[in-house]
Amino acid sequence: MSGVAVEAGAAGHGAEPRGKRGDDGQATYLIAIAEALWEEMERDERVFMLGEDIGAYGGAFKVTEGFIERFGPERVLDTPIVEETIVGMAVGAAMEGLRPVAEFQYADFMSSGFDEITTVLSRYHYRAGVPLPVVLRAPSGGGVRASSFHSTNPEPYFAHAGGIKIMCPAFPSDAKGLLKSAIRDDNPSLFLEHKWIYRRIKEQVPTEPDVLVPIGKADVKLEGSDVSVITYGAMVHKALEAAESLAQRGISTEVVDLRTVHPFDEDTVLRSIEKTSRALVLYESFRFLGIGSEVAATIAERAFEHLDAPVMRLAPPNIPVPFSPTLEDAFLPQVADIEAAVERLSTW
Amino acid sequence: MPRIAWLSEPQGPVPYDLANKAMHALAERRLSQEIPDVVILLEHPPVFTAGRRAHDDELLWDEPEVGARGGLVRRIDRGGSFTFHGPGQLVGYPILHLGSGPDAAAYLRRLEEIVIRTGRDLGIELERRNDVQTGVWHGDDKVCAIGVRLMRTRVTLHGFALNCDTDLSWFDGIVPCGLPDHGVTSLSRLSGRRITVSEVRPLVRLHAASVLGLDLVSAPGWLTETFAPAPAGIAPGA
Amino acid sequence: MTSIQMPQLGETIVEGTILRWLKHEGEAVARDEALFEISTDKVDTEVPSPVAGTVTRLLVAEGDTVAVGTAVMEIDDGAAGATEPAAPAAAEAPAPAAVPAAPVPPPAEPAPVAQPAASVAPVASLPDRGPRSQIVSPIVRRLAKENGIDLATLAGSGTGGRITKRDVLAAIASGGPPGAAMPSVGGPTGLAGPARVAPPAPAAPGAGEELVQVTHIRRAIAQHMLASLQTSARAWTMVEVNVEHLVRLRDAARSAFEQKYGAKLTYLPFVVRATCDALLTYPVVNAELRGDDLAMRRFVHMGIAVSYDQGLIVPVVRNADSLNVPGIARAIADLAGRARSHELKPDEVQGSTFTITNPGPYGSIASVPIINQPNAAILSFDAIQKRPVVIDDAIAIRHMVNLSMTWDHRSIDGELATRFLARIKENLETWDFSSELGL
Repeated sequence: MSGVAVEAGAAGHGAEPRGKRGDDGQATYLIAIAEALWEEMERDERVFMLGEDIGAYGGAFKVTEGFIERFGPERVLDTPIVEETIVGMAVGAAMEGLRPVAEFQYADFMSSGFDEITTVLSRYHYRAGVPLPVVLRAPSGGGVRASSFHSTNPEPYFAHAGGIKIMCPAFPSDAKGLLKSAIRDDNPSLFLEHKWIYRRIKEQVPTEPDVLVPIGKADVKLEGSDVSVITYGAMVHKALEAAESLAQRGISTEVVDLRTVHPFDEDTVLRSIEKTSRALVLYESFRFLGIGSEVAATIAERAFEHLDAPVMRLAPPNIPVPFSPTLEDAFLPQVADIEAAVERLSTW
Repeated sequence: MPRIAWLSEPQGPVPYDLANKAMHALAERRLSQEIPDVVILLEHPPVFTAGRRAHDDELLWDEPEVGARGGLVRRIDRGGSFTFHGPGQLVGYPILHLGSGPDAAAYLRRLEEIVIRTGRDLGIELERRNDVQTGVWHGDDKVCAIGVRLMRTRVTLHGFALNCDTDLSWFDGIVPCGLPDHGVTSLSRLSGRRITVSEVRPLVRLHAASVLGLDLVSAPGWLTETFAPAPAGIAPGA
Repeated sequence: MTSIQMPQLGETIVEGTILRWLKHEGEAVARDEALFEISTDKVDTEVPSPVAGTVTRLLVAEGDTVAVGTAVMEIDDGAAGATEPAAPAAAEAPAPAAVPAAPVPPPAEPAPVAQPAASVAPVASLPDRGPRSQIVSPIVRRLAKENGIDLATLAGSGTGGRITKRDVLAAIASGGPPGAAMPSVGGPTGLAGPARVAPPAPAAPGAGEELVQVTHIRRAIAQHMLASLQTSARAWTMVEVNVEHLVRLRDAARSAFEQKYGAKLTYLPFVVRATCDALLTYPVVNAELRGDDLAMRRFVHMGIAVSYDQGLIVPVVRNADSLNVPGIARAIADLAGRARSHELKPDEVQGSTFTITNPGPYGSIASVPIINQPNAAILSFDAIQKRPVVIDDAIAIRHMVNLSMTWDHRSIDGELATRFLARIKENLETWDFSSELGL
């Protein structure tokens, strides 16, 4: 487990994230997330952070660079490699009235704290009547040649626990607004940051600290009329690329970004299907029992009379994420795969 | 785009009647689209089968003599004349739905192609002889007999029988495929070394999949079990 | 009555031998039950029945060898009319596209053209317009039910002839069954489902060849054209028209017209105007054959064939009979322009009652266009040329043009076609168009 190469020219310690935007004022996904954390830490003293290497080191991905200098070691805690304890500490702190934001260095390691997350964090409100405003954050997803120990998409595991809201934003402004909403929400949340997106996607991001994105609301990123692609995370960007190429061939694709995967926005999804009558559910976690399985079943149940073709899913097979770049590319849905699937649906 | 097909390779020599009955039952189920395409690869105990065009005088040993040698004689619903199946011969029964506009001639050519490619892998150049008869040949000798029937014009029955290290003396009991001036041979005889059914199976599987456009997956257990003889003392099931 | 033929079991198999009748005269048969056994030089098989009914006649004997396609048995399935495999009924779907070049072999399974008797009370199935024409998706079923659309009247533009949601929506928009599936090219409103031809087996390119995949539009055009040829009983008539005075009028008026109306003045609006009158005078040419009925219309929706980068498209000038020449000119200019910029809406390419094509600008002097289904005819207006003609027994040079029309002999006869064209000719030669130019 090694650190990820740091972007050259990153501002040094003590510099706050808002100074790290590009000259055009655009913020990368990573910086947008850092801004959200910083602004929420400034806004509410009860908010604090804990995780491995987040303090002195500034975080494995440098998200929290500059934080410990600004907020001090009592609000930016470096922990040992003890995922279960990290969650346990967060639960305890939340019970005592604090608002912890716990970072996992890679989403893959969350399963070391599986019991604490699924049995305790997700259910304790039911047991003790005490709300737990805990946010878990982790870099998830693949496509970066990090293979099966550093590329997991864990949202299906924890969605099944029941009591945790799970967000997987694809765009920087969604990421900032959703993380703020999660921190301000009194319920446990899991905020999954797709590592492929961190430094690859940037856009204009609001600077006002109270601009929030509602949890549980999807966003139609591209309107279309022939086929709906329901997706989230890094796959949103691939879907948009596929849609552009499909448009040249006369196929109009609507891309719906779920943003929150649990609970997901059924109404927006169903409205899209009512319009196009054809659904492709695209997701990056394994095809079997992924978020997309749930979305597809819901579409089939609730939008049956609107369908002009079967509901299709496109997702990787249930195998370890490969090491070899060629194999990883074959494993992940690529733009060409999305185009082919949409085309098949549009001519079904 | 290959389509899924079930591959079943029942163990041991499978009695002819049992296999024939199971094959017809599967073909009916294939016709009604209950099951996907199926490919069966097996061996039979010694049996002479006669197709529709077979004349009785093409069976040179009478039936008691055949029985004495441990063989059977069966008249069946495929076209063609007499042929022999027995140990050392790989028999293939693809049960495929050819669609509503079937091209049976093209299908037969594909079966030939599977065997020709298999021969090539073994260093043996085999060929079709459109001037003589369907089947796979080496010169004037036939190494693989092919006989097919369609069920209700759409689903294939019977298939091919490739001599690997078959005891070719059995063929003295018939005029093979009704052709008195042509001979019979085997892969072993053509190559000068013993080529067994086990050696040939993986090659045939590979070429059957690619020539027929199939994605071969293991057939479910119940299917292979229909080719298993019932244990002694228990009446064979329906 | 259904005729059972010796089936074709392969391209090279030309005959078969009846080995054994499995069903005899007077016996009842169920659908797909085996009727008789045959042997060919490649395979043997039993031939199943395409219908349920009773065997009425055996036409050959056991042991006979007959050519593929020969009728060997007749079955009474309670249908009204006799079926002949060669002439499909008017409203039935066209035969599948792939017909072998060899001497007229029919498909392996005889096409069940006759409808089952009412007393048998079968499940209402859709006409066989392709391998997937029977599939009805939930949205198609619901929209059809809610809007009173009879799915049996729609030709599906989906893969394998499936009726898609777009087909039903188009039918609803045009107030009835739509024209055969022609794709519209829309921007935000999307593309009408392109009809899919069953793709032939992929072949590797030969030396010096490059395989270029055709577009959806091309596929749709291909299917439409082939279907048209297999649907209508095509005949063709041509007349020659003296347009000398029309040419003079247009040359004199064109710049003022363009200034006033903002649209170019071509000859096409005059031809449309003259044709609309002829269509209302001879409404059978403007009608649509639907099964045993002829849908007669008292309006003209004029399809105008437009050539553009993706191929061919036919936008429709609705109620062209109520427009004058400037109105028609403007409508055509608008539709053609939007066709070329891919901005037509789906309902703008549906619902024509007659179509005009104008290859004249490209130089042809006579054409045999293919009817735009489900119209009864299509008119081609070719190039105007100065030609020597005989007037009062002397040779004169006049601007002449050929008007040729491909027409469907199922509903139109030669005399009517000729009278119709003569009417257009008379209109073009004698009308004074200048009054309606408003200049």
